[in-house]
Amino acid sequence: MSSLFERIGGEAAVNAAVDIFYRKVLSDDRVNEFFDGVDMEQQINKQKGFLTMAFGGPNNYTGKDMREGHKHLVARGLNDSHVDAIVELLGATLSELGVAADDIQAVADIANSVRDDVLNK
Amino acid sequence: MSHIIFDDKRIELDDGQTVLSALLDSGYEIPNSCRAGACQSCMMQAVEGDIPDGAQQGLKDTHKAQGFFLACSCTPVTPLQITPLNSADSRITATVIEHNEIRTGILQLRMKPEQTIDYRAGQFINIYKDDNLSRSYSLASVTELDDFLELHIRRIEDGIVSSWLHDEIKIGDSLQIQDASGDCFYIPGTPEEKILLAGTGTGLAPLIGIARDALQQNHSGEIHLIHGAKQIDDLYMHQSLIDMAKQFTNFHYHASVLQADKAVDPVSTDSIDKLILEIATEASEWKSYLCGDVDIVNSLKKKLFLAGASMSNIYTDPFISATS
Repeated sequence: MSSLFERIGGEAAVNAAVDIFYRKVLSDDRVNEFFDGVDMEQQINKQKGFLTMAFGGPNNYTGKDMREGHKHLVARGLNDSHVDAIVELLGATLSELGVAADDIQAVADIANSVRDDVLNK
Repeated sequence: MSHIIFDDKRIELDDGQTVLSALLDSGYEIPNSCRAGACQSCMMQAVEGDIPDGAQQGLKDTHKAQGFFLACSCTPVTPLQITPLNSADSRITATVIEHNEIRTGILQLRMKPEQTIDYRAGQFINIYKDDNLSRSYSLASVTELDDFLELHIRRIEDGIVSSWLHDEIKIGDSLQIQDASGDCFYIPGTPEEKILLAGTGTGLAPLIGIARDALQQNHSGEIHLIHGAKQIDDLYMHQSLIDMAKQFTNFHYHASVLQADKAVDPVSTDSIDKLILEIATEASEWKSYLCGDVDIVNSLKKKLFLAGASMSNIYTDPFISATS
């Protein structure tokens, strides 16, 4: 049985998804304020890292990375509703790319598994 | 088993071992993060040897052309000599051969380097006023067309290097410069592609360079260059660009001049963001180059991206003012 990452399409799927996903994020008033003024190029690379992880691919993220990386955003009010929005946009991206519903749920589960670290709970 | 050459040392690789893992095992501190070919923080440059397939996945064409690769995804099968990025510290002497103020506050500087330098129009070079003080300027000249380097230098109020270049440097003087770098340049191979070049102020220097480079490499797709300015007097090389548009049927020039008295083609009073979206109606089909003021570059980048352009098809040369 192939892995989730393989079923979604691996690194190529990450590259295909990242523009669509980031465009959704920047266009969504629930979350785009957190992305104001960031370097888009660097952000795209971070998003690729995030998508690779969420798609079940190889990654070296630790809970500490997640906490450190989002601390300043939590201070600005990042909360569960924003994580919900991101997970929703991620699902919409994958469904646009024709990924099966079961696999989208599996991706959402992985994304949700880092929620507490992201929110520094 | 293969090996890499790094820091003048030969490092053996185990079968299937990545360059990153070998360097870390040898005690080198190499920036890295995801180790999965995504974050690009371990990007390095190959100076000799073949880069294996997969080590350049997701990189921009301009990065690939310079031999950049991701150390975490690179398992060489043949020997590879590599360096960290931007480690080349080779200063070169160049002699000033032209020094014209082509418009108030804008210096067109041409110089001949003592030795050939390897560059593409649109990349930038550093000019050193002394050992510790340098500024970056983008190249308007084209390797195959010009036997000199051309820069456009805007006089910055209280700018130490720009004032020095404007007021003290004259024809015949020697300048210390450093090799070209930057990833905002024309890549051959897709001659039918539509190209958008947009920017403000002396962002025109790299834009003109990239346009001339594309045309001399027989680019056949449409090329639109849009120069943004507040007032009509802020435009420069206006007539040359009009002439260029007459000479090349696929080259189009537009000037966005917010405070122009009248809008007569190619001058428009529309803002540069409005113009680019009018020209690149199907943004996903265009390759864009954005140069000049950093805030304008970032804002145009976001607009094009949201209009559907892929981030990997947007090349930028943002001018960041140094504070000293």
